[in-house]
Order: sequence, then C-alpha cells, then structure tokens
Amino acid sequence: MDLHSKPTRNRREFITDAFNGFGSVALAAMFAKEGLAEERARAAAANPLAARKPHFPAKAKSVIVLFMAGGPSHLETFDPKPLLNKLDGQPMPESFGRVPRQFIKGEPRLMGTKRTFKQHGKSGLWVSDLLPHTATCVDDLAVIRSTKSDAVVHSAAQYQFFTGRIIPGFPSMGAWAMYGLGSESESLPGYVVIPDPFGTIEAGQPVYSNAFLPSVYQANIFRAGRKPVLNLDLPQGVSEAQRARTLKLVHELDAAGVKAGDEEFSARLNTYDLAFKMQTEAPAVFDISGEPKHVQDLYGMGDPVTDDFGRRCLLARRLVEKGVRFVVLVSGGPAVSQWDAHDDIEENHLRMAAKTDKPIAGLVKDLKQRGLLDSTLVVWGGEFGRTPEAQGGKGRDHNNTGYTVWMAGGGVKGGVTAGATDEIGLNAVEEPHHLRDIHTTVLHQLGLEQNALSYLHQGRKERLTEVQGDVIQSIL
Amino acid sequence: MPGTFGKLRLAAATLALTALAFAAGPVVGPKETYTAAERRHWAFQPRSKPVVPTFQSESARAWVANPIDAFVLSRLQKEGLKPAPKASRRTLIRRVYFDLTGLPPTPAEVEQFVADPDPHAWEKLVDRLLASPEYGERAASHWFDTVRYAESDGFEYDTHRSDMWRYRDYVIRSFQTDKPYDVFVREQLAGDELAGKVATPQADELMIASGFHRLGPLRKNAGNQDIAYNRNEVLIEMTNVIGSAFLGMTIGCARCHDHKFDPIRQKDYYRMQAFFAPTQQVDVPLYTDKEEAEWKKKNGAIEAEMARLRKSLPHDDGPARQAIELQLIEKEKELPQPLPLLSTVANDPKQFMAVHVLTRGNSAAPLDKVAARVPGVLLPDGAPELDDDDPQPRTTLANWITDPSNPLPSRVMVNRIWQSHFGTGIVATPNDFGRMGARPSHPELLDWLANKFVDGRFRIKAMHRMILLSNTYQQSYIPASTVAAETDPENKYLWRFPRRRLEAEEIRDSILAVAGRLNLQKGGPSVIVPVEPELLRLAYKPSQWAVNPDEGQFARRSIYLYEKRNLRLPFLEVFDLPDRLLSCARRESSTHAPQALELMNGTLTRGMSLEFARRLDKEAGGSIEKQVDLAYRLATARPPLAAEKSAAVAFLKENPLSEFTLAMFLVNDFLYVN
Repeated sequence: MDLHSKPTRNRREFITDAFNGFGSVALAAMFAKEGLAEERARAAAANPLAARKPHFPAKAKSVIVLFMAGGPSHLETFDPKPLLNKLDGQPMPESFGRVPRQFIKGEPRLMGTKRTFKQHGKSGLWVSDLLPHTATCVDDLAVIRSTKSDAVVHSAAQYQFFTGRIIPGFPSMGAWAMYGLGSESESLPGYVVIPDPFGTIEAGQPVYSNAFLPSVYQANIFRAGRKPVLNLDLPQGVSEAQRARTLKLVHELDAAGVKAGDEEFSARLNTYDLAFKMQTEAPAVFDISGEPKHVQDLYGMGDPVTDDFGRRCLLARRLVEKGVRFVVLVSGGPAVSQWDAHDDIEENHLRMAAKTDKPIAGLVKDLKQRGLLDSTLVVWGGEFGRTPEAQGGKGRDHNNTGYTVWMAGGGVKGGVTAGATDEIGLNAVEEPHHLRDIHTTVLHQLGLEQNALSYLHQGRKERLTEVQGDVIQSIL
Repeated sequence: MPGTFGKLRLAAATLALTALAFAAGPVVGPKETYTAAERRHWAFQPRSKPVVPTFQSESARAWVANPIDAFVLSRLQKEGLKPAPKASRRTLIRRVYFDLTGLPPTPAEVEQFVADPDPHAWEKLVDRLLASPEYGERAASHWFDTVRYAESDGFEYDTHRSDMWRYRDYVIRSFQTDKPYDVFVREQLAGDELAGKVATPQADELMIASGFHRLGPLRKNAGNQDIAYNRNEVLIEMTNVIGSAFLGMTIGCARCHDHKFDPIRQKDYYRMQAFFAPTQQVDVPLYTDKEEAEWKKKNGAIEAEMARLRKSLPHDDGPARQAIELQLIEKEKELPQPLPLLSTVANDPKQFMAVHVLTRGNSAAPLDKVAARVPGVLLPDGAPELDDDDPQPRTTLANWITDPSNPLPSRVMVNRIWQSHFGTGIVATPNDFGRMGARPSHPELLDWLANKFVDGRFRIKAMHRMILLSNTYQQSYIPASTVAAETDPENKYLWRFPRRRLEAEEIRDSILAVAGRLNLQKGGPSVIVPVEPELLRLAYKPSQWAVNPDEGQFARRSIYLYEKRNLRLPFLEVFDLPDRLLSCARRESSTHAPQALELMNGTLTRGMSLEFARRLDKEAGGSIEKQVDLAYRLATARPPLAAEKSAAVAFLKENPLSEFTLAMFLVNDFLYVN
C-alpha cells in the first residue's frame, strides 16, 4: 500500500499487527478439539510470517543493548591517556579547545585517572583494572573510542542514544527493529526493556517508546521481580482451566456474529489465544532458578553485589535464545545509583563497575559458548563519556565529544579498536563516529538499511538516523 | 495599526488572500520567489465553489439527503460502486453515541429511539447528543491529540503542570458551547493579547486559552544554562504546532534547511518563530499574599527537615541509606500542593530576543535576522515582514489564520471533523496537506464543506450535524462486494460505513459505564489514579504521583485522568493513546497480544467484571436468561442473538457470572462500533 499516507488499515496490516507483538502463528491446540479448528486454520492461512525478511542478509538476529545510564567514563575504562595523568592538576591547555559543560565553570583543570591500564587477550586491547572480567572478553569486543553525540545533558543525550533525536517523541531502536523485522518469538514480546530496579533513567519511559509507530512495536518494559510482564498472571481466584473456558466462550460469542472472512475480528480473537499461550509458556522462560549453578556463577548470581545485574543478564540471554529480537538492559537508575560521577569518579565507578562487570563478561561468554554470539549483537555504552577536566576535585562532568562504546558478536570483529580521542580524551579526532553511525551499524547488522527503514510521519520520512549515518566498516 | 497589515496586493492570480496584508514596510531582500508550480499545489488554492451534483434516477435522488450525499454518490457512481443499505436504528444510536460522546447508550435510550415513531427521531437524537455535556469531552480528546495536551514537562524532571487542567476545561467548554472556530483559534493563539490589563473572569478565560503555547514538552537542566539554545527549544515547540494544528503544513521540516517537498523555505520557518519573539511563559498567581505566606511557612518547614535527612545519607547502598531514603519519600508526601496558578504566556518587549535563521537549526550558528511573517508561498513574492515592535504579533497571526479567505485552516478543520466520524479524513493526513500528504479523496466535497463552515461562521456543531444527517453516515457496515473489494478495498469512496475499534478512552469509559460505575463529574483538577508500584519506579520522582485520596474519583472519565508524559497509564497506552509529545493527526488502531493481556488479566477489567456481575444480579434478578439479555443490551446496545444466548446460558450454568461479564468486555461487538 501507499506507504506515505496510511489512510486506512488494510487486511494485511490487521493480520500483521495481530501477530507481530508476540510472534508468529499460535493456534492453541485446545481449540482444535473444540471444533473451532476451522476458524483458527483460516486465520492462520491469512497470517503472513510475523518475522519479516531483512533488506539484505543479516549477521545478527537479536540485539542486546547494555546501557550504562549516567555516562561511564571512557578515561577510566577503555581509553588510556598517559598525557592526562602527566597533566593532572594543570589547567587544560588551550590547544585542545573548549567544549560546553553542564556543570564545570571557569578555568578547568585536568584530572588524571587512578586506574591502571593493561593490554589483554591475544588482541592486546587496553582495558583498565576497573573491569577485570570484561578484560577477559576483549578478543570478542570491538571498542569504538571515538563516539560523539550532540547533547551534554542526560535526558536529551539519552533520547539521542536510543532514538537518534535529542527530544522525546521519536521511536526507539528496538521499536525500529520490530518495525523492520517483526518478532521470531512464539510466546514472548519481541522488544523487551529490563530497567534497573532501583528506578528509571532520567529521560524516562519515552526513550524506549514506539512513539508514532503503531503500538504493536512498543517496548515491553519488564517489572522487577519474579513476574516481569504486566498482566501475565491470572487474577487471584481464577484458574487456568476457568480462563480457558471463558476464552472458549468469547470465541463462541464472536463466532455467532462474525461473518465468514472477517479478518479483523479473527485477528483480535487470535490475540487472546496468543496471550493465553504466553501466559502459560512465558513464565518458564523468566524462571532462571533452573539454570545450573556454574551458569549462575558465571553471571555473578548469589553475590549480593552482582546478583541483580547478573540475573538480568541471564534473563536477557534466555530471551534472545527464545527469539526475542531486541533487549535493552539498563545499569543505573536516578541520582547516585547511576554512572553519573560528578562528585567522585573513583567511588562511583568502582561501585557501578562492581555491579556490572562480571555479569556482562558472563553474558558475552555464555552467549559465545552457546553459539549465540554470532547471531546476537551486544552493544555497551552510555549517553556520553566523562570529562578529562575535574569537577569539584574528584568528579568528572559529561563529555559528549569523545567517548567509548563497544560492540560484540552479531558479525562484529573481535579484538579491534576503532577511532581515537585526542591525547587527553576530550574530542574524538580519529575516525569520529557520531551516534548515528552506531545506529546505522546496529541496523546494518540486522540486515536493515537506514533509508529503507522509514516511516512517513507529518510530512517526513522519519528514520532512526535522521541524517545519513555511516556503517562502521573498520569493525566488520 | 501602521506597520502591521493593511491591504494585501495580489501578486499571483492564484492567491485570494485579499483581506490580509503583509504589504506595508520594506520589501525583504534578497527577494524570495516561488515558482508557479510551487504555488499551484492544491491546498494553497482558493477554495472552489463546487456545484452540487444532481441525479436523474429516482433511487439516487431518494438517497441524497443533503449535498454531502450528492458528492459521495457521484464519486461512487464514477467508480461503479453503490452505497450500502441504511443501518438499523440500533446500530445508529450506538454509533452516534460513541462519535459524539465517547460513551455507549443505555438500554432505555436505545429502546426509546428504536420505538420512536417520529420521522425526525434521528435528527432529534443528534441534536440532543450535540447538546449533551459529554459532547465537549469527546471533541476535546481529539483536539488534545492535535495540540499534544499533557500535564507534565516531559524530559528528565517531567515536572507536573498541576494547573494545566484549566486549559483542558477551557477546550471542553469551547466545544460544548459551540464557540466559533475562528474565535477558538484566536483565543488560543493570542488570548493574552486580547485579554487587556484588567483582571476579569473573561480576561482569565482568554489567558487560560493562550496556555496553548505552554503545551509542548519543556527541557530543563541543572548546571550551566545555554540561554540561546534553551530559548530556541521553546520557540520550536511553540512554532511547529501552528503548522500542524491550523495550517496542515509541516513547517517544522524547514527548521534545518528548506523543506524537501513543500515550498517552505528555512527563512519561512524562522519568520514563523518570530511571531513569538516577545512571547514569554508566565504563571499568573491565583492566590492571595496571605495564602502564599502560609504555604511558604509549611513548605519551608518540611523542606528543612528533608535537607537535614539528606545530609545524613550514608554513601553506600546499605540498609541505613534505604531507611533514610524511605523517610525522605514519606516527608515529601507531606509537602503542600502547589499554589494555584494560571499557566499562560505574555509579550514582554524587554525580553525580546531577535530571531535569526540558524545554520542547520543550530542556535550557536545564527545567520540573518528575520521578523514575523507567514509562509511566503501564501503571500505575493517579496511580501514584507511585520515590525519587531508590533504590540500584538500573535493577534496578527491569528487574524491571518482565521481570515475567511485563507484557504487552509477551514479545510484542515472540516477534515478533522470528518475524520472524527469516518475514521479517515477526506485528506487522510490531517496535519499534512502538503505534497507528501494524501490527496483529498473528494476534493469538491472538501471545499464545499469548508465553504459551508466559513459561511456558517465557523460553527463546529453545524458541521457534525450535517455529516450525521447524511445518508453517507447512516450506511451500514457490510462485507465487501466483489466490485468494492477490487476497486476500493480501503473504502476511500465510502461505499460502506467504516467500522472502527473504540479508542483507548472509549474502551475504558465504556467498561466503567457498562459496569455501572462511571463517575460523570465534570472538570476540575486532574485525578491521579493508583498504579502498580513497579510502574511508579519508572517515574523520575515517584512522590509527584500523589494518588487522589477519594476512590470515587478513580472512575472519572479518562479525559480527567492526569496526563503525565513519562508515566503513561498502561491500559490507555496499549490501546494507542498518543504519547502527546508530538502532534498526533490520526490515532493508530492496532491489535496485539498485550491488549489481550490487559483485558483478560488487568485490574480494571477484573474489578469491573465483578461490578458488572453485581449489576446484572441486581437488575436482572436470578434468571440467567435475563442476565445475558441485559448484559448484551448494556455492552452492545442490542439483545443477544440466539446463538449467543444459548452459548452464554450454557456457560453460566457451570461458570461464574464474573467470567461471563469479563467475556463481554472481550467480544468484538463491544470493542468495535459498527
């Protein structure tokens, strides 16, 4: 149909909608024996594949974004700057230029790092002692040291990280991926966000939003605890058998009035079956207690420091294993519980890294040993890095002109670095990559071309990248 | 008013903006011109005076109830299509109730209408509903999509705008009292300019109306402020919505460069911004000095205690820290509600910030200074700008927009009214009448309706009435014939009534109404309903979500629930309630499993299925047959079909009534309007 006006909803849209949210055809066997098989079979025949073909052969089927909210320092993690340590306490040389800061005022002074950097793995990639576990995975990582973006404040920068825009109201990466590819999961949402149980990131829910894309592409934001999906449990006092009978009644009541071939109505009935199926099958996926001890240990489960993030990483693996397309895993909630080290970089980053380092390494290793890393693109980063200048005396402010994002798996080369910041880590100077290059690359690995994946909204063909991005060829 | 506007000199024969002017003052240089092709785009043309088609055949003449039908039928005939038979009164009453009030009719109302021997029964019904207070609420909800009404700032702080409900009530009142559209537009664009200096209730109403300019998201940040950048963000929000809401022009696309598809230059964009150059956001206090003093005292005491607690926060994440954090949350709840304000805008020449064209929209890279002017393609080449010291620039803008000869706004508004009844506008992209937008399916009808609207002094209810009294509207929803399925599968030419799924608010309100629990109280501060604690964690400052202490308020109509940008009610969100971050021209109507989970297992349907069961028990006695009959009449405005009745009765012999009532919320005939 004419892409640009979306005037009415046609048959294909209804059917596609009905199935995209939670995977492909699901015909509950329970209805077959009840004589409604014919109706269900007809709907199935009309149902196109939920999973759509990419624009070109994809390297990655799924994406896991590890979002370090608040902005982790590149200077304390992946981007060693000997000169910065040498100039510790000195005024920032004019030659590096000046960048607007959210908090630092007046004449800035540089601050060296207390972390020690070493080369790791066969590739000899540099990682600091802040991340000893991640350091053991370097041969699978492509470290992009020259990322940059447009906003120096959290909310705007977080919107850009997820949606490509510094204002809310645009679709998030996960929604775009769903729009482009649909879902491959039978009984799970295709796009899942697992936030930090401590609280929301500063930009709030709109970072994950489908925005103007139909709500069928919306994020399913998991709740903390054992029951992550809203409304997945039956109300108290209602048994599964009872609910099966009630749904059968709904089918009978609708069948009484529906004229043959009313696909829109059949599509809605199918969603009830899908929801029912999900309600019976999904909890097993969420239940990680059955994972063997050595796997739980790999993720740091059981240790109070790493338990929470470890559980969430393990859940992410279980989700992609079941065909979930896009998972966002967030480290960091509001205020002091995020990577926003204004007061004390050491105190903050030691605390935040301790929670996430082992689980993240566990995730990469586990994906790899299961053969899932090839088809799963893992992306690690925050909305910006941190300043080489000191804030206060021990903290670092926001640095959006040069910082680190890494990727692993999904067709990305391991053990490589791309780009570089200047000698103090202030600006990306070699092979600079705007966030839109990260987005373009994520789409590319999923087999999607940035311009082909567009949606006409208010007179513009909107797309994730807004302005043309480049695929980061040096890591592929 | 020298320097504002006098008589417009027509430069292009195609333009008919004769009453308006940006004609005095120096000609802008370099001269920007528009090609004939650019000016020729259909939406910029003066409205035509279409001749209403006439028909030879008796049957055609009998079907044509008013000119709307004539235009529609003429087009159908051209396509070899026929209109569908008239819908039954039962179908019609449910349809028109939802269209005009967003609520289902009661069984008594249905029976009364079905049995009404008066040949004017339909007309009477339409008039009664247009006069009902619920009409204003329904019409307002669509306006709120267009103007992205919400009650928080969005962005990280998502600060509440506890006084924005005054604008919400203003809009409801305006629709309710059938305020002429030109007045409605003028008040929103320039209410503060029109209000004068003396505080009167009328002046307050005008000031509330221009709270329109406060509706967009607003970013605030701690630390260093980039004044030019922040100001530009505010101007962008105030400007873009003018194009989408009133003009059907995507002027926002020209912020970084000339519009790629429409003849809107980057300069045009900044000239539109310049209407707001002296505009500042102001909050007018609605309290006395004494009230303020008392508030400050109470607030100060609690703030001081909180500051003390914050100082005692240990640095690690341990239980001691958590205990103090809990105390802080409790303390915060004790803070007094903010004092009442009137959120609006005002011109402040002292704070005038000249508007410049910005390189790629970047506030740090200004180019030429510009002054206010509407898009050049709607003016003669070289039309001048407004003087910077014009005391009422937004009145000038409003007068231009609402000028009867302006071709765009009347078309845009009648198209929105049309969409509210047929699901799709005559132009399927109501915010975009440009080249990338859809072409009108019935161009003559669009112009005819727009002329009627303008000639009838912009009365919105008259337009609804005309549409509703047409036979086009009263067709039934029928399956596609072979011809229709091939020539017009999307029903662009209206060979049947387009069935629609209820909108998010309609579903929630109907569930409450059918269960007998809907609270129809009007107006006032918005209601904060309880949400799951897990959802509240997604809010930046959970303590802002101060749940209303009166439970009876939780059953208010959805339009009165607090509209917080970063915490959306899952029930409404899942059924495609727009996010109110950008203008939404037309809602999506999607179908997916989370909707099913919400209906099957959500707290609203759980609670209301129990209430609905109680109601049936009470009103239909112990008879299963009567309960089924009443349930159908309440939920679908009709008695059950034989097959439905037998299935339901059989079910109820072995299953609880509350599972049957839940099923009634899931059936298609409840969720859709035929």
